[in-house]
Order: sequence, then structure tokens, then C-alpha cells
Amino acid sequence: MSLRAAVLRHIRLPVQTLPAIGSRPQSQLSFLRLFSSHDDHLTKEEVIDRVLDVVKSFPKVEPSQVTPDVHFQKDLGLDSLDNVEIVMALEEEFKLEIPDKEADKIDSCNLAIEYIYNHPMAG
Amino acid sequence: MGASKGQRLSGMQKQVLSLYKGFLRAARSKPAEERHQIESIVSAEFHRNSKQVDGKNFLYIEYLLRRENPGFPLDEREQPG
Repeated sequence: MSLRAAVLRHIRLPVQTLPAIGSRPQSQLSFLRLFSSHDDHLTKEEVIDRVLDVVKSFPKVEPSQVTPDVHFQKDLGLDSLDNVEIVMALEEEFKLEIPDKEADKIDSCNLAIEYIYNHPMAG
Repeated sequence: MGASKGQRLSGMQKQVLSLYKGFLRAARSKPAEERHQIESIVSAEFHRNSKQVDGKNFLYIEYLLRRENPGFPLDEREQPG
């Protein structure tokens, strides 16, 4: 007899009487939600909109100059310290923690959008 | 540390930015008002230094970095910029 079968024979799992599916509407809804994957990943448009919003909200930035192509330092007149702040603001907006090595490379809206869109955990 | 430096960051610039980031990250864990104050002070201080301290004065910059990071090895003796 295999070890697996021997072990299984000896395991006794307590059996709970679960409430009937129809009896509690709320739990039914949460049950279904587990299998929904529609809202998992952000669309590119949503990422672009939210990235632009974060950049436009930065106090030293002139909102009318912000487009998806702008470079933070070359086009918006920011310095490297401001760059750090913007990337951190993006971390907060999308609930990410961006490692320094990657964060150092993000110096334009384009790169920010690409990084965030490709990040599986962006929310 | 202005816009003229371009994309390639020197070792020293990276250390400064890393320290700046460290301050801002630490500020996140504080209550909102305190956090805001810390951010204002730190931002003002770093920006002031970036204007007043010559980027080539790496001895002074290292001194400032070491002051904030007592155990920091600061092995790289690169010229900034």
C-alpha cells in the first residue's frame, strides 16, 4: 500500500454543515467574486490618465505642458530630486513598491506608463 | 544636480538621491501633518544644498552624506557629474 493511501486512510477531516447557498445572499456574492478576473488588470488608458494626473498634480509642474511624451527633467524643468518625488507619488497612486534600480530609469511619462502598465501588481 | 546633468548619474548623485528617498519613505509612516512638514523641510534642505554646494566639492558632499548615514561605507570616490 502506498504511503499516500496509508496517510489518507488515517486522516479524518471534520465536516461542517455549510449554510445553503441561497440562504445568505452576501456570501453568495462573495463566493462568485472569487472567480471573477475581469477587473484584475488596468487598461492602458486608465494607466495613462492616472499617471498624467499624478504628474499634473505635482506643485512645480505646469499642467498644460503635461503629455504622455514629456520628460520630467528635460521638458518640465524638474530636477532629479523632483524626479524621485514623482516616482514615489506614482508608487502611492498605483500601490506599488518600485525598486531603486527600476525607479532610477523612470524619468518620463512614457517610461512611467510602460513600467506601471506592465506591472502585474499595479492597482 | 540640476537638469543639465543628463541621465547618467554619478555614484555620489545616486547616494544623495537614495538618501532623499529614504527620508521621504520614512515620512510616509508618520501622521499626515507631520509627514507634510518632514517633506517640506527635507525637500527645502536638499534643494538648497543642490544650489549652494558645488557638484565638484565631493569632500563636502561626502561629509554631508556621512553625517546622515553614520555606518555608510562610501567606497566610491568618483567625481560627480
